[in-house]
Amino acid sequence: MSNELLLETIEVSKRFGEFVALKSANIEVRAGKVLGFVGSNGAGKSTLIRVITGAHAPSSGTVKVRGKVVEKADPALMRSLGIACIYQHSSLVSTLSVIDNIFLGRQIRNRFGLVNGKAQRKRLQEVMTQFEITVDPDEEVGRLTPVSQKEVEILKALVASADVILMDEPTAWLSLSEVKTLHATIRKLSAAGKGVVYISHVLDEVFEICNDITILRDGTMIWTGPEEDIDRPKLVNLMVGEALGEASRAAMTAERHPRGTGEVRLATKGLTKNGVFHDISFEAYAGEILCFAGLIGSRRSEVVKCLFGDDKPSSGEILSEGKAIRFKSPSAAIASGICLVPEDRHAEGLCLQHSTLENIVIPSLETLSQKSILNRQSMAEMCDRQIKGLNILPPDPHKVVGRMSGGNQQKVLLGKWIEKNPKVLILDEPTVGVDVGAKAEIYATIRKLRDTGTAVIVVSSDLEEVMTLADRILVFNKGRITSTFDGGEVDNDTLIQAIGGEEVA
Amino acid sequence: MTKYINDESNNRRSFLKTAMLGTAAVGAGVVLPSLPVSENIGVANAASDGKAKMAFIQWQPHTVPNAWSKGIEEVLTAQQSFDYQLLDGQNKVEVQVSLMETLINDGAKVIFLQPIDSVALAPSIASAKRRGISVITLNIDATEEHAAHVEMNHYFGAMDIARVMGEKMGGKGEVAILNAPPGIIIRDQRTNGFVEGMAKYHPDIKIVADVNAEWSRKKAQDVLSTVLASNPNLTGVYGVNDSMALGAVDVAKQKGVLDKMTIFGNDGEKDALESIEKGELSGTQYTDVYQQGRFAASVAAVLASGGISARDFQSQGKLLMPYTIATADNVGEIQSAQRW
Amino acid sequence: MPNKLFKHIPNAGLIFFFVLLTSFFCLFANNFSTSMNAENILAGYSFIAIIALGQMFPITARGIDLSTGSIVALAGMVIYDCMLIFELSGWVSIGLGILAATLAGALNGILIVRFNLQPFVATLATLAGYRGLVYAISGRQLYPELATTPLRDPAVKALNEFYDIGSWTGLDQFFQTPWIPVSFFVLLGVMIALFVLLTLSPYGTALKATGGNYEAARLAGLPVRTITISAYAMSGLLAGIGAVLLVSRLTTSTESLGIGMELTAIAAAVIGGTRLQGGKGNVLGPVLGAFLLGIILVGLTLMGISQFVQQMLTGGILLAAVGYDSFRTRKQA
Repeated sequence: MSNELLLETIEVSKRFGEFVALKSANIEVRAGKVLGFVGSNGAGKSTLIRVITGAHAPSSGTVKVRGKVVEKADPALMRSLGIACIYQHSSLVSTLSVIDNIFLGRQIRNRFGLVNGKAQRKRLQEVMTQFEITVDPDEEVGRLTPVSQKEVEILKALVASADVILMDEPTAWLSLSEVKTLHATIRKLSAAGKGVVYISHVLDEVFEICNDITILRDGTMIWTGPEEDIDRPKLVNLMVGEALGEASRAAMTAERHPRGTGEVRLATKGLTKNGVFHDISFEAYAGEILCFAGLIGSRRSEVVKCLFGDDKPSSGEILSEGKAIRFKSPSAAIASGICLVPEDRHAEGLCLQHSTLENIVIPSLETLSQKSILNRQSMAEMCDRQIKGLNILPPDPHKVVGRMSGGNQQKVLLGKWIEKNPKVLILDEPTVGVDVGAKAEIYATIRKLRDTGTAVIVVSSDLEEVMTLADRILVFNKGRITSTFDGGEVDNDTLIQAIGGEEVA
Repeated sequence: MTKYINDESNNRRSFLKTAMLGTAAVGAGVVLPSLPVSENIGVANAASDGKAKMAFIQWQPHTVPNAWSKGIEEVLTAQQSFDYQLLDGQNKVEVQVSLMETLINDGAKVIFLQPIDSVALAPSIASAKRRGISVITLNIDATEEHAAHVEMNHYFGAMDIARVMGEKMGGKGEVAILNAPPGIIIRDQRTNGFVEGMAKYHPDIKIVADVNAEWSRKKAQDVLSTVLASNPNLTGVYGVNDSMALGAVDVAKQKGVLDKMTIFGNDGEKDALESIEKGELSGTQYTDVYQQGRFAASVAAVLASGGISARDFQSQGKLLMPYTIATADNVGEIQSAQRW
Repeated sequence: MPNKLFKHIPNAGLIFFFVLLTSFFCLFANNFSTSMNAENILAGYSFIAIIALGQMFPITARGIDLSTGSIVALAGMVIYDCMLIFELSGWVSIGLGILAATLAGALNGILIVRFNLQPFVATLATLAGYRGLVYAISGRQLYPELATTPLRDPAVKALNEFYDIGSWTGLDQFFQTPWIPVSFFVLLGVMIALFVLLTLSPYGTALKATGGNYEAARLAGLPVRTITISAYAMSGLLAGIGAVLLVSRLTTSTESLGIGMELTAIAAAVIGGTRLQGGKGNVLGPVLGAFLLGIILVGLTLMGISQFVQQMLTGGILLAAVGYDSFRTRKQA
């Protein structure tokens, strides 16, 4: 059973007209092993996934399942052969219950053609027991936490007797402990002889959970082998090419500027919201990157919402440049020079159906118009500035933002606020779902902003990010600030401990 | 569709009934016109204090039924022993049926009804009859015999319009009819009366178009422009209601051909009368709609007071309202209190 | 404690409101709590409830059907023509009417799926198109002498019957029982059939999935295009059944039958908890919504309230009904 070759692609290429998305991909997915796919956006990962799941037919090459060649590219066929994929964006119907979602499209029927609820429950229970995953079958999926929803998707694949399970960015919205739970589940899947393909940007996780790694760049597989045979720097280099890899490394050893220029731009005193966060007091300085570190659920985003005028605290003070203020709404905060790049860029940050240009100009409409008429020329110039400055790809101002990659979407969001020359820029989880190359560019932009005197606050649950960026770190725990560190003076382990809740001096 | 013809065999009975109704109506008409209209349409709480209930189910809010209701109310509130309620049929047959059933259940004595469809309301009228409730229909008849029907004289009035209009046109020319949507009895009564009138009095006048302008002034404007384009020699327009005729006036004025056109409407609305006075609309059939309401209410009062039971009438009484073909010559005689 | 109970009964808020309103009218409106009034309401609104149930299907599939009123008229006119012009037997005519309505509904679905039209736009077009067709085939226009002939077919009579359930079950010993109209029995039958279809059969889950997340449903292998077409066909089918009952009640069909009925049906469905964003719907809700609209009209009329005040009050009562239910659901989430 173990090590059996479940799925194989041999010299698979895929061409869309002139554009070659994939060149000679050779993949082996073995039972009981976890294979990691790593690569920047546009490297060909999605295309390869689609070939494996049968959504695309390869332009050349073959796909074999358990040694037998698959003739036709057909998603239903691949599913019946035991290939399942869990995508980054949920493919569950949030208004239906867990059990209805799991059996969607393949409900067990009784002899009248009606749904056999009992049989379905029994089967689900079997699978849940076998893999030690528990969910309430009758709960409405929309009400579950993200990690539970991922588990439902895994159960769906297992109930359908999948042998190969692909997971595309599975930890995008999960906290540290939830990631651990997910990894534990993956190990159970391996132990049961399933083959798992783990596609992720989070390199730490890839090293943690994968047995073998395949690296893709520009449609070509440039390296494949066991996890032990490669280390992080080499991997990053191979993924993004030498130059960008350098930048990434340089970032780690950059100079730190705790407390920046010494001018306090934003401060809070005893800021409290009953039942949410307590007694938050800090100062954010001009020319400093201040990181709010902590676990998901430590209420940092809630604090940030109050700073931006999107929510009201119960007590305490917010001081903007020394003056106590109460923002009644985001527009008041923006007028005071405080801008926010929110956590959920889809729901709260971008107009997905609009173009880059339209998104970038939104907060600046007043300044772009004379006598209530928009100046098209200025709008075009503004957009152009940001596209060039942030290297937004594709560089087309009319490109619909919803179709861009996560990293470029985030750049558009950043661009729109940079144009306002904010005094304080708050970024909430800025690089979730963003590939390594774009990440480095975003970090460079943040640093540039800091160097021009902006006070930058970054909320991040990504340890590596905090360590890379922070001039100063505030650790949040269950709605309180529990530790403070200067950037560059704390090591990984201490920080992890602090985040985990232990008091550190 | 249904031609309005007095059937010989029913003539005597209906004549007697009409005479009785007419007398009651005239009597009421003589006494009441100067009374102020009561504003009291509100919560009526009848049963306990022994007042008889009456209600009017209209087609939908519009100048004509509003005026009827005012007339009805005048008569009923003056008598102090009736409770009156105005109900909206919302232009839906099923709503009218539902309201009929509700009133029947509530023990109304008399129901005034402007049926949206003559056949569809028949079962409810039959139901009402079985319980001894008198149903009086206004303007639009129903296929089930009921106590009384008070109608603007659609057919004969339209014939008269044809006669007067033809005279104004000098006995020759081309005429277009701006008509209502199909499916309503009075449309056909008013159209047939006109067509047959023209044939009888002015056989040289040709009707070149009969188009649907949906009772609406705006639609009439659009439609007439098209008709004028294909019939450049048009000299006459008959709008089956005043709104459409006024729409025709608008278009004629705009194109500068008003002097050459003879335009007649039907109903006798205030706006139409003003237009005649200004010399724009050539004429209309005017019926005192308040009076129509008062007549209906007087009939109702007589029936409700127990004088005569609805069942005593073997056939339905039909009251045709007196009318005037109002033109520039006689429009001044219509008082402002009578305008609606 | 009552709140916990409410959580598990669907439409609990609406049921509570319904009972409250009915009690109010029983106390304050003359003749409301009579058996005759109950008969009137059942006879007058059962067919609307059926049409509202039909509307639930496209709404659950995240669409809407604005042509329902025209489809009702179409079915009605087909029945009228078949009975009076072609002189077919009653049940055959009724069958053809329902068939016409189902096909009209399916055509809506095809326009939406095949030509990728927005449901709002497609059904707005067929609202006008089908209405025009009704005028074109109208027996009353083609054969004016028929215009005043009511439908006297035994089938029509049978559908307009009332049954004295009270005496069968012996309940009328205790109070005067209303006689139940056939249309209410038809409604009950439809409700049971839909319950099986939506809750027990795979179709129900498939429909909710298609409305809740079209892509996810498609990726799960569901035939989403066929399901969408079927939702509109169902809407047509139930509109046809409603039309049969309405035509029997009126003993005729008119060209302007059903104008505005789609809005009534949508209102009833939405009041009954069918979410306009799709993905959710149950069988009791639209029925409650339809009867709620009925008792409001009848109750206010029996209270002697004039039409203008009635309109305002109706709007207010509906806001209260929907608002309470939505407030309750939001508290749960």
